[in-house]
Amino acid sequence: MSALERNAAPESPDASRESRFQLISGNRLVAQGALEAGCRFFSGYPITPSSEIYETMIAELPAAGGLSLAAPDEITALAYCVGASLAGYKSMTATSGPGWCLMIETVQYAVMTETPVVIALVQRLGPSTGGATQGGQGDVLLAEFCTSGGYTLPVFAPATARQCYEVTQAAFHWAEQLRTPVVVLSDKEVGMTLESVNPGSLARWPQTERKPFAAGGRRFLTYASPCLEEPPEFAAVGGAARVVATGSAHDQAGRLRKNAPEVIELLIHLQAKIAAHAGEMALVEEERATGADTLVISYGISSRAARAACRRMRSAGRQVSFLQLLTLFPIPAASIRRAAEGCSRVLVVEENLTGLYAGLLEPLVGADRLVRVNGIGHMITPGEILAAAEAA
Amino acid sequence: MGATYLTPGGALPYCKGCSHGLVLRALGQALERLAVPPEDLAIVTDIGCVGLADAQFSTPHTIHTTHGRSTAFAAGMALADGTLAQGRLKPVVMIGDGGAMIGLGHLVNAALLNPNMTVLVHNNFLFGMTGGQNSAFTPEDFVTSTTPTGSTTPPLDLGQLLLASRAPFFARKLATDRDLAEVIARAIAHPGFAVVEILELCTAYATRWNPLTGAELKNLADRAGYELGILRAAARPTFADSQRRQALRAPRASEWGVIPGEFSAQLREPLGLVLAGTAGEHVQSAASLLARAAMRAGLQVTQKNDNPVTQGTGFSVSELILSAEEILFTGIEEPDTLLVVSEDGARELERNAVFTQVRPETLVLADLKVPLPDLPCQVLRYPFRSAAGAKLAGLAAIVAWLSLTSVLPLEALWATLEARFGTEAAATRAKLSPFLEAA
Repeated sequence: MSALERNAAPESPDASRESRFQLISGNRLVAQGALEAGCRFFSGYPITPSSEIYETMIAELPAAGGLSLAAPDEITALAYCVGASLAGYKSMTATSGPGWCLMIETVQYAVMTETPVVIALVQRLGPSTGGATQGGQGDVLLAEFCTSGGYTLPVFAPATARQCYEVTQAAFHWAEQLRTPVVVLSDKEVGMTLESVNPGSLARWPQTERKPFAAGGRRFLTYASPCLEEPPEFAAVGGAARVVATGSAHDQAGRLRKNAPEVIELLIHLQAKIAAHAGEMALVEEERATGADTLVISYGISSRAARAACRRMRSAGRQVSFLQLLTLFPIPAASIRRAAEGCSRVLVVEENLTGLYAGLLEPLVGADRLVRVNGIGHMITPGEILAAAEAA
Repeated sequence: MGATYLTPGGALPYCKGCSHGLVLRALGQALERLAVPPEDLAIVTDIGCVGLADAQFSTPHTIHTTHGRSTAFAAGMALADGTLAQGRLKPVVMIGDGGAMIGLGHLVNAALLNPNMTVLVHNNFLFGMTGGQNSAFTPEDFVTSTTPTGSTTPPLDLGQLLLASRAPFFARKLATDRDLAEVIARAIAHPGFAVVEILELCTAYATRWNPLTGAELKNLADRAGYELGILRAAARPTFADSQRRQALRAPRASEWGVIPGEFSAQLREPLGLVLAGTAGEHVQSAASLLARAAMRAGLQVTQKNDNPVTQGTGFSVSELILSAEEILFTGIEEPDTLLVVSEDGARELERNAVFTQVRPETLVLADLKVPLPDLPCQVLRYPFRSAAGAKLAGLAAIVAWLSLTSVLPLEALWATLEARFGTEAAATRAKLSPFLEAA
C-alpha cells in the first residue's frame, strides 16, 4: 500500500551497512544532511529550538573542510552565508521564527542576486518570541511569502529525523541547481525529538554544484541566463571572471537599470526558473487506498499523526488515502490533484490556527471538498484527526 | 603602467564639489599604488550616493548590497576565502554614515573577528540621497532637513567605538587631506580589518544649510572631539590566522553513537512512558539511557523532551515511545507508564492533564513524597529521591520499572550504562541495586 514517490530520486540506501541504530534528533540530521551535501560554510546565532544544528555544525564542519562561525545576530548570520556563497561556498544557517523575521531582508537579496543558500527554519509557537520550547507550524506562509513580489521560495518540510537528513540534501541540491535560497522548514518536535535511526538506511543524494562559468573566450555577464528557466552560470567573487552583483533591479551585466525590458525579463526569470522545475522538486510520500473517498494531506510534524490516523482508519475498514508533502513550495500540485481524484473529502492537517497551507490548496481541490484540521499549542493527535474525519 | 580600477574618464554621478569624488579618486590611486590584482579585489557597496560608486569601477568585482549590510556580506566573503582558500580576496567596503549606523553591529563584529578587509566610511554628516536628513553622525548644532534648528544630539565617535572593538587599523581623515590616498593604501595593505572614516562635504545640503567649507572641516572635527589621522595601526592575528592555530588543536572526541542490537525484547504493542521530574536532575539523560537500552534490545524509540525556557529550573519531562514497529505519532495519547520522581514533574503532568489520560491498566511508579491525585490505576511508591539521590531518581525509577515489568532485559540497561560511563557505571549500578526488587 505504501508508495514512495520521488521524482528526483536519491541514491538508494547502502544495504551492506550494518543495521545498527543511533538515537538522534532531526536537528542533528539536518546538520548531517548539510555535511553530506557538501556544505562548506555555516554561520549561526543561538535560538531555541534550532541551536542544535548550529552546535553540530560548529563541532563537525571544520573536520569536513568547512568553516562554521558565530554571528552576532541573525541578520549578520545570513549575510555571512550569502557573502561566503558569493565567494563560491555552499552555505547554510539555522534559526527559528523570530530570527527568520530578521533574515528576510537578506533572503530577498539572495533571491535577487541568485545566490544559493539553505536556511533551516525550526518553527516554534508564535507570534513574536512566542513559545520557545513549543512546536508549531505557524511560519509556513511567512517562510514562503517573504519576498516583495511573492517569488516562489522552495520550502521543504521534513517530519522525521530520517527526512531531515534527506530533505536537507534536497534543499542543497535545488539551492545550487537553481541558485536560490531554500528553506528546510521543521519545528521543535521534528527538530528536537530523538529517534532511533539506522544510519545505513539513510538515502544519500549525489552532490550538486552550481554550474560554473566556462570561459572559452566569452565575456562573463553575471546574470546572463541561457533561457528564462535556467539560472546563469556562476563565477565566484575572487575568481578570474569579473562578478558584478547587485540586489537592485539590473540587466544581465549586473548594471542597475530602471524598467528596461531586459530588467523586467530578469525579474520574470527569477520566478520562471523555479516554476519550470516545480514538477522535479515535488517530493511526497503517499499511502493510497483503492477506491478511497477521503484523502488526508499533511506535512511536517502533523503528518506523523495524520499517517497514523489514516492507518487506523484503514484497519477499521475505511478507504482513506494519505499524502505527506515533503515539498511545500513550489506546491506539488500534480501530486495533490492525482491523490485527490475520486475523493469526496480532502482533510488538510496542520498545526496552526486557521489552516494556513490549506487555504492555498482550495483552488486545487475545491472549497467544497476541503476540510481543515487545525490546532495550536500541542501536536495534533491521531485521535483529533479521526474525530474530524468522522465529523466531516 | 599597472592595473586601472576606475573607468578612465568616467563622469562621476555626484554633485559639484561633493567629496565622494575626491575619495573615489584617492581610492583609485591607492589601488594603483598597491597594484592589487583586480580579480582579488571586491568593491562592496550599498545604499546612498556613495553606493553608486560600484558602477565607477571597471576591473574589480563589485557587489552592491542592502543598506548598511556591506560590511557583513564582505566579511562573509573574506572569512570564507581567508579560511577555505588562499586568502587573496580583499573586499573594500564603501558605505556612508547612514549605512555605518544601520550596520554598526556588523562593523563591531567584523572588528572583533578581524577578517582581511577594508571599510571606507564616507561621513558627510547626513543622508544625502534622500534629502539631507540627520544621521547618528550629525554634529551638534548642524542643520539638516530633519534638524532644521540644528541637531541637539552629539555625534557618534566611530573611532572610539571601533578601537574599543579591537579593530587593528583605524584612521580618520578629511576628504580634503592631501595624503588621503596614502592612508587608504595603508589601510588596504594592513592585514586584517581596517577602517578609514573620511569627513566629507555634502554640497547638496550640508554646505547650503551650514557654514561649512573644505577649510572648515577640521574645525568641525575639533568641535566634535574627533581625533584625526591614523589612530591605530597594530599587528593582530587575522581570523584566518587564528583558525589555522585552532585547527592544530585536537579534534573533539566523537559522541557515543551507534548502538548494537545485542539483546531482544518482546513488545507486542507500542509502549508510551512518561518520566517526569525536575530540571537539572538528569531526567532527560535518564530517559535517554532507557531509550538506548531499548534500542540495544532491538526496539525503535522516540524521545520527546519538554522543559521550561530556562535550562536548570522547574520541570523536566521526557516522553518515550518504545515499539517493535516504526513510530509515527511521537506524542502519547494515553500513557502506559508514568514515572514521577519529583513534585515539579507531578505538577507539570497535572497542568498537561496527563493524569486524566490514565486508564486502569496504566502503571504509575512515584516517589514516596510526591503528592498525586487519586488515580484509577495501580500506583507504586518508592523512595527514589531519598535512597538514590535527586540526580539518580529518574534512573532509579527506570530500574524499578524494568525489574517489575521486564519490558527489556536489565542487561540492556547495564550495557548502556557501561557504554556511557565506562568504569564509573559499576558504582552507579550499585546505587541503583535497592530498586531491583519490587516495592
